[in-house]
Amino acid sequence: MKYDAVIVGCGPAGSVTARFAAEAGAKILIVERRAEVGVPVLCGEGVSQKVDHFKVLEGKRWIAAKMEGARVFSPNGTKITLSAEYAGNETGYVVYRDIFDQELAREAAQKGAEIMLNTCAIDLLKKDGKIKGIIATHFDETLEIEANVVVGADGVESRVGKWAGIQTTLKPYDLETCVQYTLCNIDWGSPYCDFFLGKQVAPGGYVWVFPKGKDVANVGIGILASLSESGKALHFLDKFIATQPELKNGEPLRVITGADPVAEPIQSVKDNLLLVGDAARQVDPITGGGLMHAIEAGKYAGETIAKAVEKQRFDTQTLSEYETWWKNAFGKKLHRNYVAKEIMLDMEDKTLDMLADSLKDYKFEEFSTLSIIKALVTKHPSLLVKLTPLMKLARA
Amino acid sequence: MAKPKAVVKKEKCLACGGCISVCPQDAILMISSKAVVNKGQCNSCSICVKTCPIGAINWEGKKDEI
Repeated sequence: MKYDAVIVGCGPAGSVTARFAAEAGAKILIVERRAEVGVPVLCGEGVSQKVDHFKVLEGKRWIAAKMEGARVFSPNGTKITLSAEYAGNETGYVVYRDIFDQELAREAAQKGAEIMLNTCAIDLLKKDGKIKGIIATHFDETLEIEANVVVGADGVESRVGKWAGIQTTLKPYDLETCVQYTLCNIDWGSPYCDFFLGKQVAPGGYVWVFPKGKDVANVGIGILASLSESGKALHFLDKFIATQPELKNGEPLRVITGADPVAEPIQSVKDNLLLVGDAARQVDPITGGGLMHAIEAGKYAGETIAKAVEKQRFDTQTLSEYETWWKNAFGKKLHRNYVAKEIMLDMEDKTLDMLADSLKDYKFEEFSTLSIIKALVTKHPSLLVKLTPLMKLARA
Repeated sequence: MAKPKAVVKKEKCLACGGCISVCPQDAILMISSKAVVNKGQCNSCSICVKTCPIGAINWEGKKDEI
C-alpha cells in the first residue's frame, strides 16, 4: 500500500491539503486518531467570510450564525466596533466546527482521498535515513504506511515535525490556554463577535462571546500560558460570566478546552515532509485565529504536492514552493502581529483604555495597521517609541 | 526526596493537547483522547500543571488527585 502523500490529521488543514492534491490526481491517505472527524470540537468556531472565496464547503449546514462585525471592549468597557470586512480573520460566520470539519473531509473524499479513523501515527517510516512514510497504530495493529510525502496536519501538539527534527515545542509565552462553554438560555441578541480585554478579565488574552443563535453563544477565554496557574482559565471565565447579567443565568450545553499557538511562523518543509495549519503555527498571534490560514495553506500544500507528483520529484527544493507561497501570502502578517502581541502584552490596562478611547469614534474606512498607528501616534505622541518597530513592519 | 511527577486526572482531561505542546521534555502523549504523562521523562518543571486551563494536571501523590 503506497501513497503519493500520507496526511496525519483530518482537521481543516489536513482535509484541504488532501482535497487539492487528490483533485489533481494524487493518491492520498488521511490518518485520524479520533473515532469521528471534528469531534471533540477544540475551537471558538469563528471564521472569516473569506472562507467563501476558497469554495471548499458546500451548503450552509456548517453555519450557526452570520455576524455583522466585531466589538472589542477595553478593560474599562470602552467599545470599538469593526464591521465584518475590517474585523480580520475572526468574524464572519460562527460555525459548527464538527460539521465544518466533516464537510471539508467529505469534499476531500469526494475528490478521491482515503480516510482512516482510529489510526494514530507514532513515528516516521525511514529507510537509509530517508522519510518513506509513517508508522501508525490501528487498534492493536501496527501499520507501515508508505508515501512519497508526509504531511503533519496534527495540530497544536504536533509530533510529526519533531520526528523530522523541526523544533515545534512551544514556550508558555507562545501559547494561549483556553476553555469555552456553549451557553444556552442567555440574552445576547447582538450580531457581533465580542472580545473583552484586560488583566482582570483574561491575562495575556481575551474573553470572547460568539453568538450561535438568539439565546445560544460560545463564551470562552484564552490566557497566556506563561501567566497561567492550574485551572486559572476556567476560574476567570466563571468569574466573567457571573458579572454579566445577560450571561449569568445561562446553562452550559458543552464545555471544551483548547490550546492556541501564538508563535512566530516556523519552518514548514523538511526533505519530503510538510507541516500545515496549527502544526506549522499558522495562527495570528493577536487574535489566535487559525482556520483561514489552515485552509489557505492547505490549498498551497495540496497544489504543491500535486506538482511534485506530476514531476515525480519529492525533494526539499520542489516542496519548498509551498513554504514560499504561504509565507508570502500571510507569513509577514503573522510576524508583524507577533511583534504587535509583544507590544500589547507590555501595555498596562490604562494604556489599552486610552487606545480604545482614541479609536472608538475612528471611521475604519481604511483599516490597516499603519493607519491605526498613525491615528494613535497623532493623539498620543508618547506612544511613538513603543510603536516604532511595528510601524517599520507595517510599511515593509 | 525525589521531586513529584505531574499526573493527569483522566476524568477531567478534555484532550486539548496544550500540555503536550509546551512540555520541554516531550513527556506527555495523547492516549485514547486523554493526556498521559510518561513519569520517566517528567522533570517536574510544572509548565503543564500551570498550563492546564481546567486544572486537570496535578502532582503525583496529592490527596485529592489520586
